[in-house]
Amino acid sequence: MSSNPIISLSNVWKKYSKQSVLNNSLREELISFLTGKKCYEELSDGEFWALKDICLYAGKGACIGLAGHNGSGKSTILKLISNVTYPTRGDIVIKGRVAPLIELGAGMHPDLSGIENIYMNGTILGLTIRELKKNIGSIVEFSGLDDFINVPVKKYSSGMYLRLAFSIAVHSPADIFLFDEVLAVGDEEFQARCLKRIESIRSNNGTILVVSHDHASLTRICDNIITLDHGIALTGVLV
Amino acid sequence: MKWRLYAYKDLLLVFIWREFLIRYKQTSIGVLWAILQPVSLMLLFTFIFGVVLQTTPKAYPYTLFYFAGVLPWTFFSGASNFAVTSLSGNFNLVTKIYFPREIIPFSGVAINFIDYLIGFCVYFLMLIVYQVPISWNMLWILPLQGMLVIYTTSISLLLAALNVYYRDVKLVTTFLIQFLFFATPVIYSIDSVDNKWKMFLFLNPLTFIVENMRRVTIEGRGVVLWQLGIELAGVFLLYIVVYKIFIRIERAFADVI
Repeated sequence: MSSNPIISLSNVWKKYSKQSVLNNSLREELISFLTGKKCYEELSDGEFWALKDICLYAGKGACIGLAGHNGSGKSTILKLISNVTYPTRGDIVIKGRVAPLIELGAGMHPDLSGIENIYMNGTILGLTIRELKKNIGSIVEFSGLDDFINVPVKKYSSGMYLRLAFSIAVHSPADIFLFDEVLAVGDEEFQARCLKRIESIRSNNGTILVVSHDHASLTRICDNIITLDHGIALTGVLV
Repeated sequence: MKWRLYAYKDLLLVFIWREFLIRYKQTSIGVLWAILQPVSLMLLFTFIFGVVLQTTPKAYPYTLFYFAGVLPWTFFSGASNFAVTSLSGNFNLVTKIYFPREIIPFSGVAINFIDYLIGFCVYFLMLIVYQVPISWNMLWILPLQGMLVIYTTSISLLLAALNVYYRDVKLVTTFLIQFLFFATPVIYSIDSVDNKWKMFLFLNPLTFIVENMRRVTIEGRGVVLWQLGIELAGVFLLYIVVYKIFIRIERAFADVI
């Protein structure tokens, strides 16, 4: 593995709250804003550690699988890498653009057409309008939805919807791709195309993190699998 | 704060474009709604205060008087109403994908500003129809509009962020906007207000904007510079403080929403 990791998580801890109303959090943020100090790194009532002391390093071209039961912290790791949330303790350094395929079709609107939604979802994934214009033909072709591309997506079947979303996502020129349970998209033929696409991302030195329950597909595409249990990494911490 | 948005400028554009499309898709008269809304309010006020109650707030046409107040008001209330649920309503985006969160309330300000500009064209036509003399003093409208946008943006950011933490904010906003409507001289003139209340009303930047909107366009007079200076400084300060707090608490949005 590369000695110069593009993703590095060092001793990362993340706490979450079980309470539905978080009266404390706004106060905590404002206090640390005013005093400039980081505080509240310990657990208080109703809180738990979603991740405990996680170390994860990935170089260019690596493909890492994250496995574990529901609530073991797999998605939390992806959220930390994509900057959706921040670590309670520890450091995260990301060198490169991230394409977070955590929820396919984020930002798509049912009343807008396929083409219009390509721009919507594409820019949310961090692509520029220019990049999308350049790739629009290729995105439509990959989705196989040529006949429906000007139809509002509310008229799509759920399979068609996911195919469009996946096509946009894999056309991102990002350096890091995060896949959360999104490999089971479409029919067999489309899945084969997706796996081929993942191979070509890797051969272009893209780094991939995959979350899946499907151990068989993880072992097929990943060169390292990390199993999580209640926020603790059991195996496969790698450099 | 500018560099934060630079990498995401395309996303902001697409958000504005999306909101604009959604708003007028499957409507039969489309963008005409942007004109219909303030015009019907203007006609309503003209009827009630001019015909039914027979008040004369100023010596010029009622329609101009009310339209000059209705325009900035609908922009402000429209953007605030949009902003308050803009983040909490898009929780599936906020919890899944990172982008500078202010983009969503900003896009609400932007589409309401487009409506405002359309309405302003109508207002300008009305000025010509009523043969109001066109003067250089009308250019004061530019700093006034700038002030209106900055103030509305600050309030939108504040409401959007607070509603992530406390859903009470949404309920309070409905009430506050009604309250603020009467604290802004949309349906009356500040001249008819007792002096001891005047200072109090001027704490609301919208009062200054609406009053001067009439002053520079209909009366053709200039603004009082020191007043504009103080009001602009106050609004800028509010914007900077609100935006700084917003950026600070933004990183926790995904966890608390």
